[in-house]
Amino acid sequence: MPNNILRGACIVVGEPTSGKSAVTQVFHSDGSHFPKSYLMTVGVELCTKTVNVPETNDAVELFIYDSAGKELFYDHVQKHWDHPSMVMVVYDVTSETSFNSCAKWLERVRSHNHDVSIPGVLVANKIDLDQRRVISPKSGKEFAESNGLEYFECSAKEMQNVDQPFHYLAKQYYRLYQEKIEYFKSLA
Amino acid sequence: MFDLALLSAGACIAEVTSSDVNYPPENIIDGTNETFWTTTGLYPQHFIISFTSPVLIQTVEIKCVNVKGLLVDRSVQNVPEDFERIQKRVLDHVEGQQQTEEFQLADDTTAQHLKFTITSGHDHFAAVYRVHVNGRAVHQSM
Ligand SMILES: Nc1nc2c(ncn2[C@@H]2O[C@H](COP(=O)(O)OP(=O)(O)OP(=O)(O)O)[C@@H](O)[C@H]2O)c(=O)[nH]1
Ligand SMILES: [Mg+2]
Repeated sequence: MPNNILRGACIVVGEPTSGKSAVTQVFHSDGSHFPKSYLMTVGVELCTKTVNVPETNDAVELFIYDSAGKELFYDHVQKHWDHPSMVMVVYDVTSETSFNSCAKWLERVRSHNHDVSIPGVLVANKIDLDQRRVISPKSGKEFAESNGLEYFECSAKEMQNVDQPFHYLAKQYYRLYQEKIEYFKSLA
Repeated sequence: MFDLALLSAGACIAEVTSSDVNYPPENIIDGTNETFWTTTGLYPQHFIISFTSPVLIQTVEIKCVNVKGLLVDRSVQNVPEDFERIQKRVLDHVEGQQQTEEFQLADDTTAQHLKFTITSGHDHFAAVYRVHVNGRAVHQSM
């Protein structure tokens, strides 16, 4: 049992079919479940998973909000984003549209928690579709860098590199917590 | 009038929604502004202070950091349930300083338990250093 458990809301956004549900489910099931046929998310699907913070006895319980990408549901979807703690923006490397909409999705989540810095990752998904890839790692990295995100590439289908972005977010969130503790101490 | 929210006066924390072993909720009622309880992510978060016997409360003061929405409820039952709202506030953010919020309560406010709910924060994490509850024990005449 970990000593302390932090809790944070991880908002997963991006265009429809970019693979948000696939990435979430592969992570959540420890790689035992990849949704092969497309089942459109129509609102927000919430699941939780606890991640240990390396080199500590602490853990972060992630409340993962797998959000629908379809515009029709946005009004409803954003009502679930009360206090975003972390953000994951997913795009499909074979789709120009999905890459171009990342800025919009990022801004939407950040506007829900203005004054607070939210750790974020950019996830380039479906790298197994090498032949059809249209967004280069370079473009992805550049976008990530200029928007304060950490860049990751993965394939939910091949279950490759899916856990890393979640672990990174948990670690960054934990770091923010430690900074706050120091701040609280300084005000004592 | 006394400060009733003190471990040394027999008060205790009956319930809390999150806690770091290094910054436990008892720090709220240990009599100093030096120690604190911290939330560990997400809102709402609450803690309940229970008194040894029913008390008549005049003022409540809270010293905290990063708290935005705050609710105070009271219960007059033996066990901490059937809470009723007695205060609702929105606190401003003050950078580099503790927030101090004082509540003047209606003349005859009694309570066995007080519940403080942080509904939202100015940051992912909030801290509470101290709650003062000024009042006296209710003398129950039989
Ligand atoms: N080849 C390949 N296909 C993938 C990958 N990840 C997801 N898919 C497929 O892409 C389709 C859409 O995936 P979802 O995860 O449902 O997409 P989504 O982003 O949740 O879509 P919405 O819920 O509509 O917003 C499904 O058929 C998945 O099987 C991947 O890494 N590689
Ligand atoms: Mg989905």
